[in-house]
Amino acid sequence: MKILVPFKSVPDPNDATSAGAAVSAPKSVINPFDEIAIEEALRIRERGEATEIAGVTIGAPAVDEQIRAALAMGIDRAIRIDDSRALDPYAVARILRAAVAKETPHVVIMGKQAVDDDSNQVGQMLAGLLSWPQATFVSKIEFLDTKTRARCTRETDAGLEVVEVNLPAIITTDLRLNEPRYVSLPGLIKARRKPIEVLTCDQLGVTVRPLTTVLSVARPAKRAAGTRVESVEELVTKLKQEAKVL
Amino acid sequence: MDFAWSDQQRELLDAVGRFASQQLNYDVIENDRDSVFNHDAWKKCGSFGIQGLPVPTEYGGLGMDPLTTVAALERLGYACKDNGLLFSINAHLWTAVTPLVYNGSEAQKKKYLPGLCNGTLIGGNAMSEPNSGSDAFSLTTTAVKKGSRYILNGSKIFVTNGPVADLLVVFATMDKTRGPEGIAAFLVEKDSPGMNVARKLEKMGVRTSPMAEVFFENCEVPEENLLGKEGGGAFLFTRSMTWERGCILATAVGSMQRLLETCIRYANERKQGGQSIGKFQLVASKIVDMKLRVESSRHMLYHYAWLSSHRKSVYLEAAMTKLHISDCWVKCCEDAIQIHGGYGYMTEYEVERELRDAIASKLYSGTSEIQRNIVASMLGL
Repeated sequence: MKILVPFKSVPDPNDATSAGAAVSAPKSVINPFDEIAIEEALRIRERGEATEIAGVTIGAPAVDEQIRAALAMGIDRAIRIDDSRALDPYAVARILRAAVAKETPHVVIMGKQAVDDDSNQVGQMLAGLLSWPQATFVSKIEFLDTKTRARCTRETDAGLEVVEVNLPAIITTDLRLNEPRYVSLPGLIKARRKPIEVLTCDQLGVTVRPLTTVLSVARPAKRAAGTRVESVEELVTKLKQEAKVL
Repeated sequence: MDFAWSDQQRELLDAVGRFASQQLNYDVIENDRDSVFNHDAWKKCGSFGIQGLPVPTEYGGLGMDPLTTVAALERLGYACKDNGLLFSINAHLWTAVTPLVYNGSEAQKKKYLPGLCNGTLIGGNAMSEPNSGSDAFSLTTTAVKKGSRYILNGSKIFVTNGPVADLLVVFATMDKTRGPEGIAAFLVEKDSPGMNVARKLEKMGVRTSPMAEVFFENCEVPEENLLGKEGGGAFLFTRSMTWERGCILATAVGSMQRLLETCIRYANERKQGGQSIGKFQLVASKIVDMKLRVESSRHMLYHYAWLSSHRKSVYLEAAMTKLHISDCWVKCCEDAIQIHGGYGYMTEYEVERELRDAIASKLYSGTSEIQRNIVASMLGL
């Protein structure tokens, strides 16, 4: 069985604690949900149910650092689709469809969303474009019937929902699927010998044009400091007149 | 001179920092209070690759040169707050692993190094005795050859990793009349008949690094566990001590860098008299001193490692590096407490522990006075 794991490079959500003497610019990391997808693919291979794991990402040469991290975790090889434009989910899904056509995996495992834009659309769109079944927000994966089907547990607001999908399928990962391993130094050194294939959209035969444009990005307004009130009466007055919630 | 790291070195250092900050900093206050060794963190460091940094790849290591190794350890010290764990790793690396790499037979290396690299085995050494500390070669522990075995008798103190070690490098006298040339080193496995790891020692600092007194009573060691040659113990000890002096405080340089950053943050945040305390010159001046100590320590460390990487003599540089960094580390910790005021004295701020941990660095691997003796002798005094 062959697994394709698409992953995205995002600004490190834990930058404050990610060490490195005198770090100035925010570091990039693999999107944490995609890291869970990579980990799951590795575990599937380790229990003998997969023979090959390929990773695919879209971006400029700078994302090679995250590609090497994925290779160091243990995926076999990686493809970088060289495109530095700000792409919207539909454009990403169309490029990934071309990558799936080239790689013909038995299953695609990817994060349910990226932590930078929180769109949560690419997995679903990719399944739609390929006319493949999808299991999203998955916290458990089992392969059935000589790997022709997968039984997936989905985390929904109503509770755990168990679905079975025929393969090939798209599976998107939720937080509780696993805890990704850390990149080890031997893994990092081994990763230097693993191949990174660089392709352009042209080479994949896909032309994408973003349908949406980000107009601006701004920090949320700073919260005003709280005040202490002397009495319940004062609180009620303030809630009525200042906050206007009563 | 090239002061830049290669892309590959930078990538490795970043990986060390990320690993250590995410995987090693739990229960540090509690473990320090209760003198608990974090065995789980040790295993994680092993599978991550720390214990294999300077070991040739054919024995399960990463084969890193001394400069890359100390830089990786510096980053480890920056990102990991458990100085006891780091001390245990250092003792393991410089007093057990390094002697094996340089003096071990092929069979000994194949047998022990892979486990010592991947975190399954813990090493240490047993040199100091109740009456033999700075006067290192006045050992009273004896070794006598009997058939295909050596029989060890005597007692050792301050054995770092003693309570948890799987393998100890034990030094003993075979021929007292020959002085240092009558000493030999042995690889002694835990639970060897006649070896008794006695009392676990309570300490002021590095409390998460276990230490014990070890007794040998007709302890039998198979002859293939002689490390180096009979009479070669002093040479082996001096060589491994030079490694140890040069490298053991790489983690301390990282710790100082972290303390510096903590103090800068605190000095900017803490307001007294209507301004950040960092605006008071007496506070700022302390932070400048800390910065100078970190930088000078780092330069001495890298210069030592660079010389070592180029196979130059480092006997003098190792002693100076150890002497300078230990001195700087203790002073940085004192300043860090002073800058934090009363809060710095409180356990939860994790500054006072650094001072208790740092003070040991002026004692282990040869006291500061012994380092000064070495430097003086190398200056022809």
